[in-house]
Amino acid sequence: MIQINPIIRLVNRNLTISINPGFIIWQILFPLIYIFVAGFAYTALIDSVPFGGKNLDYPAFLASGMIGFNIMNSTLISGIIIWNDRRHGMFEQIMSGPFTRTHYILSNIVTIGIIGLFSAALITAVGYPVFFDSVEFNIVTIPLIIFGSVVGAILFGSIASIISVKLRSSEGFNVIINTVFLFCAFASTAFYPVQGAPQPLATIFYLNPLSYLVDIIRAGIFGQVTDFVITEMLVLVALAAILFVIATKLLTKLDF
Amino acid sequence: MLCIETKDLRKKYASTVAVDGVDLQIESGQVFGFLGPNGAGKSTVIKLLTTLISPSNGKISVLGIDSAKHPLEIRKKIGVVLQQPSYEPTLSAEKSLEKYGMMWNIDKKTRKKRTEELLSAFGLEEIRKKKMDDLSIGQRRRVQVAREFMHDMDLLFLDEPTVGLDPAARRKLLDFLREQVKNSGLTIFYTTHVLSEAEYLCDNIAIINNGKIMAVDSPSELKNRFGHEKTIKIHISTVSEELKSKLSTIPECQIKLEPEPTVIINSTKSEIVLMNILKILNETDTKINDLSAIPTNLEEIFLKVVGDSN
Repeated sequence: MIQINPIIRLVNRNLTISINPGFIIWQILFPLIYIFVAGFAYTALIDSVPFGGKNLDYPAFLASGMIGFNIMNSTLISGIIIWNDRRHGMFEQIMSGPFTRTHYILSNIVTIGIIGLFSAALITAVGYPVFFDSVEFNIVTIPLIIFGSVVGAILFGSIASIISVKLRSSEGFNVIINTVFLFCAFASTAFYPVQGAPQPLATIFYLNPLSYLVDIIRAGIFGQVTDFVITEMLVLVALAAILFVIATKLLTKLDF
Repeated sequence: MLCIETKDLRKKYASTVAVDGVDLQIESGQVFGFLGPNGAGKSTVIKLLTTLISPSNGKISVLGIDSAKHPLEIRKKIGVVLQQPSYEPTLSAEKSLEKYGMMWNIDKKTRKKRTEELLSAFGLEEIRKKKMDDLSIGQRRRVQVAREFMHDMDLLFLDEPTVGLDPAARRKLLDFLREQVKNSGLTIFYTTHVLSEAEYLCDNIAIINNGKIMAVDSPSELKNRFGHEKTIKIHISTVSEELKSKLSTIPECQIKLEPEPTVIINSTKSEIVLMNILKILNETDTKINDLSAIPTNLEEIFLKVVGDSN
């Protein structure tokens, strides 16, 4: 019998239980509404947004921001998998089978990496008509988008995992995770440019990892890799690493 | 061959000693019953044996493998149905079996075949397309137990598997388990609170209380060891003062008037006591309506062993 790696088997299981028609529709519909309704509606208020050396029209700016937003949103799945596994006894069941905690943790990371990339590809495809005038895909920018998608997925997946490990009740889990993700979504550069925002808000924007993720993906799409974006990449990697270690430690210590 | 061996097994949680020096030696190819009252340490022992938790002290060997050194190797060879329900709410009963087989690296063809066999064996065909979240507790439990047979194993841990099952489903499961042990040489470590189940299914039984093993033996040997005191009931027509007076000289018997006049004998020498009482009944001209000897069952032994240890 061919021995399939335990992590791959768990990833297969994670994707089966997580991805359903409702999830995919939500993943497409929600960004579509934002890009094509809010994007064009706000054009009257926000004419163009300077980004690197370019001036982007607002729909293009928003569509590129939606990629980061969607990656963050889709990694909620990581928290939901862990929370559901604990609530429905599957964590214990998996741990009494041919798997280790390392397998379980890595399978979650691979799952959110796949979902993050899938999400990014989906919004890139959906938003392409909006930002294709300014797009500068090349050998540097495409890996940059993939890098941002994967690191961002690990970062937000780790946040979701930490919350799911710490909270048992469904009410607590839903309230906390929605509050954290809502704050991250709206106090970031995903929807509005930092230029022109009041100073305290601009500072908050850059205390939020989603801003870093969104900036990196925008830099990848529009070919504007600056020193600041490289700094953002380093910060994102460092944050993702720290949060991943915390999430792993918490999962390792999780008692039965 | 020894399937499970523990030496001085202990598990301590803060100030509570859940398992206190358990020594077990369980041979392969049998159903081993593990009985005890609530909180006695049954589930903790199962978690220790399945390597879910580590002991505070002592040694565990499962299928000849040291659990401290190679826990994953043990888990690859065992099946576990824990006391708490475990299921994926978004999957159907059928998909749940199929995916579980995939998780155990069973090839697609075998998975399909086993899924059909198990759906039939556990009476799940009608609910195969229903989501796990929509099933009743008993139905979910059946899927949970059936799921474990999707993969090959040498040893199966079943922690109260019949909770929530109706009598027919319970009997069907017990018969299925018997067949598995008979046909494939599987060893089953079985906990239950339904003692008639243990009596029906188990080759050997251990009784645990307060984290300690109180007795280990076959059900018949346990009866011989602990069931030497027999109970005989004689239902009589009336109780006269003369009868009361004469029976009061025999300490091993008592008279109950409700719901009907009955003389109850509780004695290790019940046959001799019975002879004496029959003589008295004859002397007092008391009519016997019915006479019954109550066979010692596992429940009485369980209550006695646990009661004595408390």
